[in-house]
Amino acid sequence: MSYKPDQNDWMAYLYDEMEAAEKEKMEHYLLSNPEARKELEQYQQLRSMMGTVKDKEVIAPPIVVGESRQRFIWNSPYLKTVASIAASLLIIMLVGKVTGTQVSLSGNEFRISFGTSEVPEVKETSRPAEVTPVLTSQQVQEMINQSLNENNVAMQASWKETQQHLDASIRSNLASNSGKIDKLVREASTASQDQIRQFVSSMQAENTQMVKSYFKLSATEQKEYIEDLLVDFAKYLQQQRQDDLQIVQTRLSAIEENTDVFKQETEQILSSIINTVGAPAATETKY
Amino acid sequence: MAETLVDIAMMHSDTLVTRAKQGDQNAQGKLVQLWYKRIYNFSYKFFQDHDLAMEASQKTFISMCRSLPGLQDNGRFKSWLYKIAVNYCREEIRKNKGNRSLSFDVVWNREAEDSPGWESTGQRYANPEKQYQQQELSDILQRALMELSDEQREVVIMKEYEGLKFREIAEVLNISENTVKSRLYYGLDGLKKILEKRNITKDSIGYEL
Repeated sequence: MSYKPDQNDWMAYLYDEMEAAEKEKMEHYLLSNPEARKELEQYQQLRSMMGTVKDKEVIAPPIVVGESRQRFIWNSPYLKTVASIAASLLIIMLVGKVTGTQVSLSGNEFRISFGTSEVPEVKETSRPAEVTPVLTSQQVQEMINQSLNENNVAMQASWKETQQHLDASIRSNLASNSGKIDKLVREASTASQDQIRQFVSSMQAENTQMVKSYFKLSATEQKEYIEDLLVDFAKYLQQQRQDDLQIVQTRLSAIEENTDVFKQETEQILSSIINTVGAPAATETKY
Repeated sequence: MAETLVDIAMMHSDTLVTRAKQGDQNAQGKLVQLWYKRIYNFSYKFFQDHDLAMEASQKTFISMCRSLPGLQDNGRFKSWLYKIAVNYCREEIRKNKGNRSLSFDVVWNREAEDSPGWESTGQRYANPEKQYQQQELSDILQRALMELSDEQREVVIMKEYEGLKFREIAEVLNISENTVKSRLYYGLDGLKKILEKRNITKDSIGYEL
């Protein structure tokens, strides 16, 4: 028997994934080879031991995959850090602006200050410090006193001057202002008299016009009304007359008819009387 | 909770995969439910660590849901899924190389403290001793598995416990079927030797099985 299975064949046979022809060969080989049978048995033994490892029970956690897969540029962590740094710098700058922080570096001096700086004062104090080594303290004192006196004098002079100036300006202002105000008041009063006059006259004119037009209007209306009234009255009288005439006519015609009837009746009566009167005579004659 | 026949049928259902591919969230959820136990157990045997296994499984399924539309052949879903799982397992192993911290569950095994092993399982054996021995054997085997190289362990787990065909394992690992078989061969051989070294052979436990 030339067939000898290699490791691949072994595995295929062990897991029963061998083609029929190969499988037959393998079984043949096993039958004729007790050592191979033993090896196979060992593998099967191992597999049955491995079968003791059971699956662990587990509950699947909910897995939700949203649609938000695409990452926008502003969502990238890099941009976020850059933006946050920029924002914090901006805040620092704003705070500096609001508190008036000033940082300066001049010579050996590094200064951080809040609010407006008062550099001139510092300069004044720094200058004497440079000079002091040459002068004694008394001299300095004197100089200071002198300068103070000078300062005081100058200050007083300037004070007085400014006071005078102020007084003068206030006075002149007052004068000019009162003059102006008087003028304004006067103007206002004169202007108002004229205006009142004008206003009154215009009012009067308006009033007269209104009254006139009112009278005119009412006169025409009255006229019309009276005319209408007269016409109506005339019409009424005419009607009355006609009615009366008609009545008189009918009465007259009635009287006429009556007289006619009366006439006829009297005629008839007369004729009958004549007849009755004549007939006996006739008959008498006959006799 | 063992898989029912219906579940197994569903696991290989083309329509479910197709629907999941079209973005049906219910179908995706169902796929996760059906396959989670398999992938978790694969990862668990690979790491012997619950937390790492959960991590890898969750990553696997998140990745599955995201890249399902790219799956060309529905028939290859199983090997495709295991491929993702294997990649995440390898990644986790790489990350945890040199990280010697122990899981809290290992340091303080609450389950072992509170109750004997047989009480925590659903199945009750008439013979607690046999149950205990099986548990012990299982632990020994799992530890032996960890002694194999990653490559061999992957193949042994996929073949022996996950029941993949050689062709499918070859697809998952992107290697030839023959390489799979030879890795399995060396893996099993290694296991055999490890067990022999600990005097666990047919003779010592055979009669108990």
